Amino acid sequence: MAGSSVFLVLLALIGAPLFAIIAAGAMIGFSREEIDLSVLAIEFFGIAETPVLVAIPLFTFAGFLLSEGKAPQRLVRLSRALLGWLPGGLAMISLAVCALFTAFTGASGVTIIALGALLYPALVEAGYERRFSLGLITTSGSLGLLFAPSLPLILYGVVAETPIDDLFLAGILPGLLMVALLAGYGFIRNRHTATPPAGAREVLAAVLEAKWELPLPVVVLGGIYSGYFAISEAAAVTALYVLVVEMLVLREIRWRELPRIVRESMVLVGAILTILGMSLASTNYLIDTGVPQRLFELTSQYVSGPRTFLVALLVFLLILGAILDIFSAIVLVVPLIVPVAVGYGVDPIHLGIVFLAAMELGYLTPPVGLNLFIASHRFQQDIVHVYLATVPFLLVLLVSVVIITFWPALSLVFVG
Amino acid sequence: MSPSRRVSWLERLEALGRVLEDGLLVVGLGALVLIASGQILLRNVFSIGLVWADGALRLIVLWLALLGAMAASRDNRHIAITVIDRFLPDGLRRAAFVVRQLFTSAVCAALAWYSWLFVRDSREFGDTLLGDWPAWWFQIVMPVAFALIAYRYLLRALGALRPAR
Repeated sequence: MAGSSVFLVLLALIGAPLFAIIAAGAMIGFSREEIDLSVLAIEFFGIAETPVLVAIPLFTFAGFLLSEGKAPQRLVRLSRALLGWLPGGLAMISLAVCALFTAFTGASGVTIIALGALLYPALVEAGYERRFSLGLITTSGSLGLLFAPSLPLILYGVVAETPIDDLFLAGILPGLLMVALLAGYGFIRNRHTATPPAGAREVLAAVLEAKWELPLPVVVLGGIYSGYFAISEAAAVTALYVLVVEMLVLREIRWRELPRIVRESMVLVGAILTILGMSLASTNYLIDTGVPQRLFELTSQYVSGPRTFLVALLVFLLILGAILDIFSAIVLVVPLIVPVAVGYGVDPIHLGIVFLAAMELGYLTPPVGLNLFIASHRFQQDIVHVYLATVPFLLVLLVSVVIITFWPALSLVFVG
Repeated sequence: MSPSRRVSWLERLEALGRVLEDGLLVVGLGALVLIASGQILLRNVFSIGLVWADGALRLIVLWLALLGAMAASRDNRHIAITVIDRFLPDGLRRAAFVVRQLFTSAVCAALAWYSWLFVRDSREFGDTLLGDWPAWWFQIVMPVAFALIAYRYLLRALGALRPAR
């Protein structure tokens, strides 16, 4: 057992695809129990038996399509017209717009690429320090993971078998807390960078220009939160709406670009769902052999109460987030820690929000945070420079994650 | 057969495969959007539900997942931990590359084989989906996709092993 685990960890560390690592682990486990390995195929086929997964390709495609057109420009113009006059206003705009955008695109790095190119020069031009601006944009790239309909929220719901609508509600206040604390930091650092207020004419023009995108959050979020749409239905409406608006109404994307955009978005979907499919099998093996139970017994020897458990969990998640991407972390770790957390009386919904909030920090943690690499590449900055620029924001987010962890009511207040 | 002709034949197959992959992804995603939104329209406007629609949508997701996984293999964009790679010296990095390609290829070959057994059983038992369509028609995508992914990683390993000229 130990020998093969070490071997697999080594292979993972030298960059073997994680789905293959998980599949190999499941195969080794099942063959030791003398179970026919066709079980892997049967479990993988479970992808076709989980209705809510229909939402994943639809939302991902809609997000990729939105980022290809001029929707990001219009969104920035509109929020500038509305909030640009506030001290530190442009920093707030960047945070708000990126959070909204990330909720739809699922923190795959698209936000930094699509919005960073607009916001970074705008921030520098408005008199914000370069270093502050770089850190802000890098941080904003994964902000919004806690807002519906983000992919990690959906995936957590699938894996932890908790209602996704409840997760969508639970994410609102913790997500707002993160944005608010970062905006507060932006305000303190940049009190003097107010720009003159935009006239009513500019506000109106910006609203009119964005008239096709504006209904989208209302339809999606309103539809889901009011219970009018199931999540997969909201995803279908979003995809169809974005497709019609971008391709037929505004015609910002050429038809021959479409296969490339479909491919790009489905590469991400394929990568996530293959890992999920493999982990359906490996998780079953772990549960059959009683690993979560043993894990709980082991932790309860060292960790006494729920509060100590949350401290230990937070430390564990911060380390995990620095090594593993959010999607793999969800499918691999969540099935193991949910039973343990429930044993300590932690609500699985609250656990989900803590999990995702902590993993959000992982995007920014040196040396491997994904956003750090994307920002370094996108803005042609040395990676160490990006590390240093991002550290203050990382600390602010850490504070918010600690608050989210030890204040369960913040997550659970709207959950019935 | 001369080596240059064999390469061009392989290259043409690669290009064809890519077009096929993209075509199936577009068709699959298009069907997903149309069936899913069509269903909402039918239910709310005409109060009709399509019995097969939910099952079909879920099967399309399985197909998209596997086609997407094939595309990710082709573009080398499967999720992996890529930190250590950049700190390895050249020779070791090449060795690590070959090892992980061969490992992934072997795992996918095994997955293809066991999915094939699953499909064969499903066919022998006469399993059906979406009413009375043979289930294996939809399940066959699993062995095919994993076999192609195994082939893709094997090809990449061999490419790295061949001495550069």
